[in-house]
Amino acid sequence: MASCKDNEQDPRVHGIAAAIRVVPDFPKKGIMFRDITTLLLNPKAFRNAVDLFVERYLGKDITVVAGIEARGLIFGPPIALAIGAKFIPLRKPKKLPGEVISEKYDLEYGSDCLEMHVGAVQPGDRALVVDDLIATGGTLCAAMNLLERAGANVVEFACVIELPELKGRDKLKGKPLHILVESR
Amino acid sequence: MKESIIKPRTIKPIDLAGFSRTFRYFGRSKIQVRTNLGLLSLLFPSLSSRPYLSLLRLAKPFPLICKRSMASDGAEDHRLRRIASSIRVIPEFPKPGILFQDITTLLLDPEAFRDTIDMFVERYRDKEISVVAGIEARGFIFGPPIALAIGAKFVPMRKPKKLPGEVISEEYSLEYGTDKMEMHVGAVEAGDRALVIDDLIATGGTLAAAMRLLGGFSSTDRVGAEVVECACVIELPELKGRDKLGGRPLFVLVKAV
Repeated sequence: MASCKDNEQDPRVHGIAAAIRVVPDFPKKGIMFRDITTLLLNPKAFRNAVDLFVERYLGKDITVVAGIEARGLIFGPPIALAIGAKFIPLRKPKKLPGEVISEKYDLEYGSDCLEMHVGAVQPGDRALVVDDLIATGGTLCAAMNLLERAGANVVEFACVIELPELKGRDKLKGKPLHILVESR
Repeated sequence: MKESIIKPRTIKPIDLAGFSRTFRYFGRSKIQVRTNLGLLSLLFPSLSSRPYLSLLRLAKPFPLICKRSMASDGAEDHRLRRIASSIRVIPEFPKPGILFQDITTLLLDPEAFRDTIDMFVERYRDKEISVVAGIEARGFIFGPPIALAIGAKFVPMRKPKKLPGEVISEEYSLEYGTDKMEMHVGAVEAGDRALVIDDLIATGGTLAAAMRLLGGFSSTDRVGAEVVECACVIELPELKGRDKLGGRPLFVLVKAV
């Protein structure tokens, strides 16, 4: 786990990187799973991770923070609260009650779906999309599509971890991605 | 901490996109009107001004609400009202006969969301809580901000097979069948003082399972935390979930009757 180039100067990032553990062969053989739960067990490191995002986005007129189920629901709300933005959960199918719009996206085998409430976002909202990790970028791309269909402008994507070899960045239609650590 | 607020469950669902509002009156008109208005005020901020509210004040205010509200501090009361009115009710979800208390509209009101977190933080900041356990998935929304503010660890309590690495699990009953909840081995240590958070308590089954996991009853070495309190935004008191918590206290902001 290495600090991303943007953050190399910030001493807080090393503590964050060190607090993330790698669990081999999860959810299946051959996958090295980056587990942020150990970061959450370290209050200082968790606080620093949130602060690094908040410092970046305060004063940028972000009106919406969209967090992707489930780990985006952990990092998104503290950021939203600190910058005074609405928080919108983007969820797997059938979890959100009431009227939703949904976006299909591809998995390695098969496909999945992400849903958002109708009316959660207004045209002209400036949105930040948050998740714990970007791998192939499929989920983040689906999130962007949902928000744009509702008329929001996706300003940036924010993740704690990037797996750069999977080139998830290429799926983001040129929108900026900000990460704290990259993991190879 | 002061009393929670009562919110009638039979409030009409609000169509966020079009805000077509139809509301029935059950002799609880005042709080219903305020509830609907609460949501409208998200879309049209000028509606929450005092003159408009007083135009809609009806002859018979709901006595229980008024008595509880006046007994508490005015600012507190204002926060609870805003929180209660920002929660919307979706009928027939996830199945017929259920009135679903939807907190996503609370999350769309930054002031109400901030107030919700503040009310929990004010209660727990001096209680030496070392662990905040949040139950998947909506407990993940409220738990971390509280944990961050009080300097506690955050521990996610998850559905099966979501947590990587070694876990302990606890089965619990549903209306039909059972489900399982998991927690990481080593997430809590002996001497930890824990708070359990979820958005809502219904029958109490999920919270009870979380308490057993945290308390070490499901692990072989029986090492666990002391569960100090359970905290939810909403309680459905008719379902008596409180009685399932092994005598541990429950703190809620809103009771939906």
